[in-house]
Amino acid sequence: MSDCRFTAAKTVEEAVASLAEARGEAHIIAGGVALAILMNEGLLQPSWLIDVSRVTELNCIEVGDDGAIRIGAAVTHSEVAASTDIAASCPMLTEMATEIACGRVMNRGTIGGNICLADPQGDPPVAMLALDATFRVAGPSATRDVPARSFFEDLYTTALAEDELLQEVIIAAPTAGCGTAFGKYAARKAMDYSSTISAAVSLERDPGDGSIADIGIGLGGCGVIPIWPEMTETLLRGRRLNDETFAVMRDVLVQEIEPIGDSLYSADYKRHVASVILKRTLKIAEQRSVAGKGGGS
Amino acid sequence: MSIDISLNINGESHDLTVDPTETLVSILRDRLGMTGTHKDCCMGICGSCTVLVNGRPVSSCLLLAVQINGDSVRTVEGLENNGTLSPLQEAFLTFGAVQCGYCTPGFLMTATALLEENPKPNCAEIVDALKGNLCRCTGYKKIIEAVQAVANA
Ligand SMILES: Cc1cc2nc3c(=O)[nH]c(=O)nc-3n(C[C@H](O)[C@H](O)[C@H](O)COP(=O)(O)OP(=O)(O)OC[C@H]3O[C@@H](n4cnc5c(N)ncnc54)[C@H](O)[C@@H]3O)c2cc1C
Repeated sequence: MSDCRFTAAKTVEEAVASLAEARGEAHIIAGGVALAILMNEGLLQPSWLIDVSRVTELNCIEVGDDGAIRIGAAVTHSEVAASTDIAASCPMLTEMATEIACGRVMNRGTIGGNICLADPQGDPPVAMLALDATFRVAGPSATRDVPARSFFEDLYTTALAEDELLQEVIIAAPTAGCGTAFGKYAARKAMDYSSTISAAVSLERDPGDGSIADIGIGLGGCGVIPIWPEMTETLLRGRRLNDETFAVMRDVLVQEIEPIGDSLYSADYKRHVASVILKRTLKIAEQRSVAGKGGGS
Repeated sequence: MSIDISLNINGESHDLTVDPTETLVSILRDRLGMTGTHKDCCMGICGSCTVLVNGRPVSSCLLLAVQINGDSVRTVEGLENNGTLSPLQEAFLTFGAVQCGYCTPGFLMTATALLEENPKPNCAEIVDALKGNLCRCTGYKKIIEAVQAVANA
């Protein structure tokens, strides 16, 4: 037997109180998919696990009257993929969740666990960056809101304090006419998670000349954190999507990202793939924006 | 720390005292002697440890048993009924979907869940459902044919 403590939290309050008591010596566990790998590999011997997978408040998906989508941190990838509410208002999230590995992983892995792991390959963080999502974080005395765009600080490091947990992600209602899309490249998507390149795009067009009025982009597998490429976004605003735009975009993008070469793909190859995947995803988001239904196809 | 949990495994209730760090696959194999569930990569990649929890496939190597207290688990041992193989198991034999057999329990559980949720899947749906299971012998074709045959029956 190990001397690991275990708390099956029933409420956010209880989980946060345990975190505070543990003073940095506890791990929140949701699906356990990521933590169990570390434990199986002998990289982690937890001294206290605080299970939030059955906390009711963390398990809901809600679309408010204002159209904002709120997804509880312990909602699984399968539940995101199956939500008709999410598909109707932001199909990019459905596309993203549907392509996370395979059923086995989707049925246990949670959106919150994925975001808090802060793996630069993770797909949910990439979508959250493009959508300019807000993360509601619960601490011992209050909740606070952290923009997704300032949540990822370093490799596997987030803005969460040791006594805080992620409660939910909030995505503002897409404006009418906005198109969203998610694209990803891997040799075998169900398994080659450690080498994937992904791009999420949320795009609004000027009704007059069709140029890009506003754009949000997130990129996965392109550095030590999920990347929000501000320079590339700035370049694209006011332009129309055509070969000339894609050529200049590529030059800016490859300087803005720093992918890490691995056994499958070199860093340079990943730079190339990132620009191709972003181009394709931009085109899909642009087509959907014509429909003018917040990303519906 | 030890924790008392209860699991319904293949229809039978088991009261167990577990360590919070114990995975479901270790409990099945090392404590209950149910070695039909195979343990290989221990990283959720290969799919050979797939079991159904409340009817849905999960990797039992990445699941701490303490987290599923009260839930129902189905393993490959639960597929046969009074010594009669399930139609899917029969089809695996008929179509030669089994060679070395290491991946077979995982494929059977994944495909069983598919057929229960969607009794008439088309080929693309079968391929999609099985995409997270690795087989290094058959080239997948025979496995897909076996599942298709049950769907068409
Ligand atoms: C074979 C395989 C393929 C994969 N492919 C993909 C893929 O294609 N795309 C992709 O995006 N991901 C992929 N993953 C990763 C998987 O999606 C994540 O590991 C999973 O979502 C993590 O969620 P979890 O609930 O299991 O996290 P856990 O293991 O429970 O936790 C992960 C981390 O987050 C912390 N944590 C969890 N919940 C909270 C919370 N509410 N507040 C604060 N901290 C919290 C934990 O303390 C821990 O540090 C893959 C994984 C495997 C095994």
